[in-house]
Amino acid sequence: MAEHLLEVINLKKYFKISRNQILKAVDNVSFTIDKGKTLGLVGESGCGKTTVGRAVLKLYDIDDGEVLFKGNNIHKLDKKSYRSITKEMQMIFQDPYSSLNPRKTVSAIVGEGLDIHKLYETKKERTEKIQDLLNKVGLNKEHANRFPHEFSGGQRQRVGIARALSVNPEFIVCDEAISALDVSIQSQIINLLMDLQKELNLTYLFIAHDLSMVKYISDDIAVMYLGSIVEKASSTELFANPLHPYTKALISAIPVPDPDYEKSRVHNIIKGEVASPINSNPGCKFYNRCKYSKPVCNESTPPLKNVGGKHFVSCFNI
Amino acid sequence: MSERILEVKDLRVSFDTYAGEVQAVRGVSFYVDKGETLAIVGESGCGKSVTVQTIMKLISMPPGRIKSGSINYCGKDISGYTDKMMETIRGKEMSMIFQDPMTSLNPTMRIGRQIKEGILKHTRINSKEAEEKAINLLRDVGIPDPDKSMIRYPHVFSGGMRQRIMISIALACNPKILFADEPTTALDVTTQSQILELMNELKERLNTAIVLITHDLGVVARMADRVAVMYAGKIVESGTANDIFYSPKHPYTWGLLESLPSIDREKSNRLFMIPGSPINLIDPPAGCSFADRCKYSMYVCKKQEPTETQINGTHSASCWLLDERAPEISFKRGVI
Repeated sequence: MAEHLLEVINLKKYFKISRNQILKAVDNVSFTIDKGKTLGLVGESGCGKTTVGRAVLKLYDIDDGEVLFKGNNIHKLDKKSYRSITKEMQMIFQDPYSSLNPRKTVSAIVGEGLDIHKLYETKKERTEKIQDLLNKVGLNKEHANRFPHEFSGGQRQRVGIARALSVNPEFIVCDEAISALDVSIQSQIINLLMDLQKELNLTYLFIAHDLSMVKYISDDIAVMYLGSIVEKASSTELFANPLHPYTKALISAIPVPDPDYEKSRVHNIIKGEVASPINSNPGCKFYNRCKYSKPVCNESTPPLKNVGGKHFVSCFNI
Repeated sequence: MSERILEVKDLRVSFDTYAGEVQAVRGVSFYVDKGETLAIVGESGCGKSVTVQTIMKLISMPPGRIKSGSINYCGKDISGYTDKMMETIRGKEMSMIFQDPMTSLNPTMRIGRQIKEGILKHTRINSKEAEEKAINLLRDVGIPDPDKSMIRYPHVFSGGMRQRIMISIALACNPKILFADEPTTALDVTTQSQILELMNELKERLNTAIVLITHDLGVVARMADRVAVMYAGKIVESGTANDIFYSPKHPYTWGLLESLPSIDREKSNRLFMIPGSPINLIDPPAGCSFADRCKYSMYVCKKQEPTETQINGTHSASCWLLDERAPEISFKRGVI
């Protein structure tokens, strides 16, 4: 079996809110991603998916668990080896309006990584590299001397992608990279990301809340609810055969662009609100909204069980 | 025929800026009948929000101005109404819910007072009756514990709950028409599903017409009776939901439908994309505004603007492909 490029084991990230309040943003999350594959991480706002993405890159320190990138524990590395590994792991952020420094030109933004890791010999080589990167993401060399405000949202996201690619990474975390964009622009960016993946053999952790887009780009999908993964399967399997009540509700909540189908189907609407992640109960986090809940669900956390064919579910009813 | 509540004819709205005149809305016509849902679809910047905000007189003028056109509400042209005249219908007969429930409620006022404000202004009932009415409204929109919630501030509620409160304020005086500007865009899918369900339920009960602005065609399919597709300040195609989804005629509509990732599509094939980006509204081109991005554009498209072609009683589109001299191109999903 191929070596996993990234392996996350029992990741925990708690935020201390006050002396006796702890917010468990990420609670025991484990997953692996193989080289050249995409893992989609979905869930609603506040479920901890962004925290996972950041903890994987050590933008947050973690409370417990391990993040192994090519077998190295990211959170145990010394400063120097961490810096060399950041070259291989990059991130694309959600908001192309705030993730680019408004006072720097595109060439300064894209070239910063080149400078830090000293990836060029001469000035000329640097300029060429930047132009190459801009071409790769569908911009041209005239764009190099412009400032971020001169670009549309889609173009800015392309600049963000060029910045991430500048250091030849193997692994990219896309944190809601398309959710701030218009539909027609979203498909442009998704196609670009998929082309780049094929060309450069990239590995993605694709974080998003839009299940239909995630389904499209991912090989495997993990569904998060309140800090834990409740279901994990290949993307075709997850949509064809969702098992966790939350996944079912989530899939049913996606409006389908087909009026006859949409108006005739019964919407499986989950009642109530997401429970507070602060000082949560020991039991299943979906307990208070689940129609199938049993007493045992409130007492202990259901383990992530393999139900066959790499399909994992955390539910006592299965 | 059902009662016509709103009819907008050839509305043009511009904003004067230092860079020049931004022609945000360039000749928009549509109507809304009693109790129906009209969805206005389009990308950001296409003028859909400006259109409804102009109807509600929520655009500050200057810099904005209505260049021409009429807004007929229940037989009266309200396009020339002053703020004072508008106050008699705004909030009472037409009301609006906004995209961002986090910022559209006043953070320093208890929600009970915010709901009562409109009721007391527009109806002749005393404070105590208004209080009761507000509690009932909160119950109707599904806020738990409505009596106690009245004295709470907006920040204690989640996004979905705040949008419910916004809906209760908008419906407080039983409006004839409700404008909903991307009401669920800021919400999660499961919450979105709850809010859409609530809107449909209230529409059935109160027979309110809804003008729904959105860019999500899935939401349109679920909610709309009729659809208007906007591009660069114009309605390029309009018709019943079935017309638009099952026999679309305009290449932009094709593009919108095709760029959606459908749940049953496999990863291997690329998503269809509309190349390029929308036109600059300061200096719009002489021809069709979509011509530069359109795969089927012809010589005439760049020279002259297409006129509206009526396809059947409800369905119309503005595209040169519908001209009898144009080559026949039909759209099937997955073929484009």
